[in-house]
Amino acid sequence: MITAQAIFIGFFGVAAVWFGIVVFRTFSMVRSAIALLFSQTALGAMFLTMQAEFLGVLQIMMMATEMSIMAFFMVMFMMDPGGMGKMEMTHQKRLSWIVGLVSFTGAVAIAVFIDWGPVATTVAETAQQTEALGLELLGRSMLVFEMAGVTILTAMIAATSVAIPPIPSPEKIHKDKV
Amino acid sequence: MSVELIWALITGAALFGVGIYGALSQTNLVMIMMGVELILAGALINLVAFWRYLHPDVAAGQMFVLIVMTVMALEMAVGFGVAIARFRSKGSVEMEEAAELKE
Repeated sequence: MITAQAIFIGFFGVAAVWFGIVVFRTFSMVRSAIALLFSQTALGAMFLTMQAEFLGVLQIMMMATEMSIMAFFMVMFMMDPGGMGKMEMTHQKRLSWIVGLVSFTGAVAIAVFIDWGPVATTVAETAQQTEALGLELLGRSMLVFEMAGVTILTAMIAATSVAIPPIPSPEKIHKDKV
Repeated sequence: MSVELIWALITGAALFGVGIYGALSQTNLVMIMMGVELILAGALINLVAFWRYLHPDVAAGQMFVLIVMTVMALEMAVGFGVAIARFRSKGSVEMEEAAELKE
């Protein structure tokens, strides 16, 4: 039976996929970043429709920040960020099409033909969900949660170290002065 | 079988396919990262759908989503770090110009 939830999931799903396609169709890098932001926001709206409210809000907040930063980097690094020159920035398009299509078809076949068993019709209230998630994170899954935290810290240090320009040795500075 | 679950899984499959296409076809490092983001977005929607429609009473399902979100943030942070280093040394983040990395 088609419910209101199914209609909204379908609508936001189509929006997420459409904006995902726009990411690689436009020549403007800023438009690409904004299309990805819209795609991820539609995904967050799907989470909200599926009554995963904490995750939905988190997804929208995280992706809004992440994609804004990405737009800045796009403008900094691209030779033609506005897309005025319509530069071709793709290669092996045929192979990419085939692999993308095969992946999509395979995943759809799994989704449609596998018997997923009984489906839950109700879900706990948002406050109860968040409480259960908090207890899970600080209880049974604490090691995994801590590992994620340490990994983020390591990645931050690594990314900053890689991005800092190398400091020239005193000998090189002296040599340059001479 | 639930229509909502199937539609969510098909959305995940489509995002995965589009992401694979983007990651393989783009020549710019930042665009490749956008493809990877879409692949992970496909995984995210599947995880939330499985939690909601198959095991809503198990909070570990939501925890998996948090882990994938962490992976997305890490990928962006490290990717941009590499992009800055590459741009500083070569003046470009085009993968077509990075053939010397194979050698």
